[in-house]
Amino acid sequence: MASGSVSITIKLFSALREALGESEFELDLTDISVVGAQVDVAAIKSLLSERGAAWKEALNQPNLVHALNHKVVFTDAVVSEGDELAFFPPMTGG
Amino acid sequence: MSVSLQSEAINVAAEYAQLVGDSPGAAVATFTGHVRDHSDAHAVTELELEHYPEMAHKVLEELGQSAAERFGLSSWRIVHRFGRLAVSETIVWVGAVANHRGEAISACELMMDTLKTDAPFWKREQGPMGEQWVASRDSDTERRARWQSRETQ
Repeated sequence: MASGSVSITIKLFSALREALGESEFELDLTDISVVGAQVDVAAIKSLLSERGAAWKEALNQPNLVHALNHKVVFTDAVVSEGDELAFFPPMTGG
Repeated sequence: MSVSLQSEAINVAAEYAQLVGDSPGAAVATFTGHVRDHSDAHAVTELELEHYPEMAHKVLEELGQSAAERFGLSSWRIVHRFGRLAVSETIVWVGAVANHRGEAISACELMMDTLKTDAPFWKREQGPMGEQWVASRDSDTERRARWQSRETQ
């Protein structure tokens, strides 16, 4: 963080991956990171929604699931350098 | 006391032998799930399972451990397939060993009800009408919720 560059890994699965044509990428948060301020999942969703209508629609589905470092979280979860944040539809295993 | 995520077929007989061999117990319960040849509205000829490997492993490990604590299991095992599966192939197998049948059966039910909604797997069905992602079911969410309400009692 001190170096000024902050990035996290984004992963997309299932219908979300298919709709957006990406499965995994690094997201640079430098522009939205302010020293001392926290970046949460909601802020990441807003940032990614700026990529276009398809992203905005996909990331604002009411049943979207967010997993931070392999654990399901709400949108107020705080994201840190090096975290892995995944977005996907409700799970249908078994 | 372990989890396996695998693309290859599940050898149920070998899994059972391993489960019981790990911890001989009085009561052994298992559940085996197979790929159905139909969904609510149409025929299914093949199933594809996408998964999130690291998270699936973590969620299922925690699930097995919590079932073991809750029901006093001496052994448990969860095996889940991913990739392409044909109709009637085994998609999931869970096993639990306890002192009494009630605990073993309940543990299997808890593991199945929870993994369906909490483990990151997504089914994509293929049939005469093409391919489509399977939607989550309210009935699965309700079955999952039964265990949470019991936890708080």
